[in-house]
Amino acid sequence: MTVIADPFLAADARRERRFFLSLSLPALFIVGLAAILPIVWIIRQSFLTTGGEYTVGNYEKVLSSGLTWSALVTTLQLSLGTLAICILLGTPLALALASARPRVANLLMAFVMLPLWTSILVRTYGWLVLLRRDGLINAALTGSGLTAEPLPLVYNFTGTLIGMVHYMLPLFLLPVYAAMRDIDANLVRASASMGATLGQTIRTVILPLSAGGIFSGSIIVFIYTIGFFITPAVLGGGKVNPLSTRIERTLSTFQDWGSASVLGILLLILMALVGVMFLAARRLIAGRKVGTGHA
Amino acid sequence: MSWLRISLTAFAISAALPVHAETVTITTAGGDYGNAMKEAMWGPAAKELGYDVHEETLSDGLAALKMQVTSGAITTDVIHLGSPEGAQAAAQSLLEPLDYKIIDPNSVPAAAKSDYCYPFDSYGTVLSWNTKTYGENPPKTWAEFWDVAKFPGRRALRANAQDSIEIALLSDGVAPADVYSVLSTPEGLERAIKRLEAIKPNVAVWWTSGAQSAQLLKDGEADLVITWNGRAETVKKDGGAADYTFKGSVIGTDCLAVPKGAPNKEAAMKLIAAMTQPARVAKLTDFIAYGPVNPAGYEGGLIPEDRLKTLATAPENAGTSVFSNADWWVKNGEAAQKAFDEMMAR
Repeated sequence: MTVIADPFLAADARRERRFFLSLSLPALFIVGLAAILPIVWIIRQSFLTTGGEYTVGNYEKVLSSGLTWSALVTTLQLSLGTLAICILLGTPLALALASARPRVANLLMAFVMLPLWTSILVRTYGWLVLLRRDGLINAALTGSGLTAEPLPLVYNFTGTLIGMVHYMLPLFLLPVYAAMRDIDANLVRASASMGATLGQTIRTVILPLSAGGIFSGSIIVFIYTIGFFITPAVLGGGKVNPLSTRIERTLSTFQDWGSASVLGILLLILMALVGVMFLAARRLIAGRKVGTGHA
Repeated sequence: MSWLRISLTAFAISAALPVHAETVTITTAGGDYGNAMKEAMWGPAAKELGYDVHEETLSDGLAALKMQVTSGAITTDVIHLGSPEGAQAAAQSLLEPLDYKIIDPNSVPAAAKSDYCYPFDSYGTVLSWNTKTYGENPPKTWAEFWDVAKFPGRRALRANAQDSIEIALLSDGVAPADVYSVLSTPEGLERAIKRLEAIKPNVAVWWTSGAQSAQLLKDGEADLVITWNGRAETVKKDGGAADYTFKGSVIGTDCLAVPKGAPNKEAAMKLIAAMTQPARVAKLTDFIAYGPVNPAGYEGGLIPEDRLKTLATAPENAGTSVFSNADWWVKNGEAAQKAFDEMMAR
């Protein structure tokens, strides 16, 4: 921290800080209104019976139900599955984009971003047209004789995963691409001049230097996918039921706001836990990198 | 210039006058069904009463009703619900009792009568099939629907215990009249759930909306679909390779209710009475194959002879059917749905 000796300058700096802070007031107000208040309301609701009396019964009911835990497992399977595929597909893609000539990279980037401009509902139903039994993909497969029977591509876990990866891939790609683009090209050249193979360069130079981007992308993918509703509801065929569809069922079939609120809080805790885990892992890796640097 | 001011005031008053007509808000399910109700029922009734009727559409009436009543921000005067939801809403005291001084108490059969939600039309949950897959020999009973060896094919069922557990018991040889007494025992419910679990590997899709079930049937995504007769009839009429049977259908009714604390209670009751006159509920079948609950709707040739075949409650179709029991669902719905969801999660 810098210490300003002149009292006038110090007062000036204080005023400036206050002014900058006041600029954020509208945003803080909106966040408070749109995020914090509803969460407080949900927490309160989770302790109320349908008659409006205080109870912990909602928690007992939700936490003792096997349905909650199977929904939790499905949620994690979907999130981790999406994340794994995003890393496997997105990282090489980001590498290709980062190493392409700027003009080509911009063009490719436009294609990557294109799906982001389309509503998720439209995209999800679009997949239905492609993946269903007499859809384009199955028609091509059976028509060309590659498969005798149409493949079960949708109304199951596979279809849900396809839809979710399609939605998340651009969002994963952006931070990874940004990190890779910022890598000093001289480092890559240096590693090549020292006799490293391309594989070694990727493993020892590029990936460690873009780890921060991969981490940010992973957090985005995980936090988003934990709450996914439309995609499993449309492409899951009723067989893929994560926590979000459990909440919907609890509300629409049972009108049980208390239990639905508990499920919502469960989602919130899950997100916080995952966030903390990612941050801890990031610090661990960053620490190790510094350690090896010294050795 | 005062004459100008006066005449302007007079003009303003006369322009404001029509607003004094009673304004009533009705909440329907929207879509083809909502339009049918507007054309056949509340549109003409509003004209007759001189009411200014606003329509709101919602796919989940009960959840919305509960939100309006518990928050005290009630905007709707008349709401369209399924009868089980109506009974559920009444049990949670979300509805005003129907005013049977305004509505004719003898216009519905005693078995269907409700103090809170006035049943006006009926539909069947039916067995429908793809005619390309099965040609002249489709499965026509629930037992055959379950017979995957004799009738291979992809099934689609509703992702809900409602109607599914009744149908599961019918497929297991329970007589229509005994369905609810069997279901009321723990072993009976378990039997139904086991039966559903047996067909589960052959269920390609568990659908969640009526429109989705029609789409599955139309696209041939599923060969056998349990759906509502109105949906199956629409697919068939639109030239889809589909047919259906009323044999063993589960008959449900939809009803109209007034939310507790509705702004225009009395006008709402009058609108319900007027929009459910026999000629109007009969006219509804011009648009959608949901037949009147009021027996008078079937009299006097209000509904053409050939259309009767497409209505679940028409005399020749009702023989093998089960009437969905709204009271049973209010008492046992949560337990049944939980057992169903657990079966789905296994």
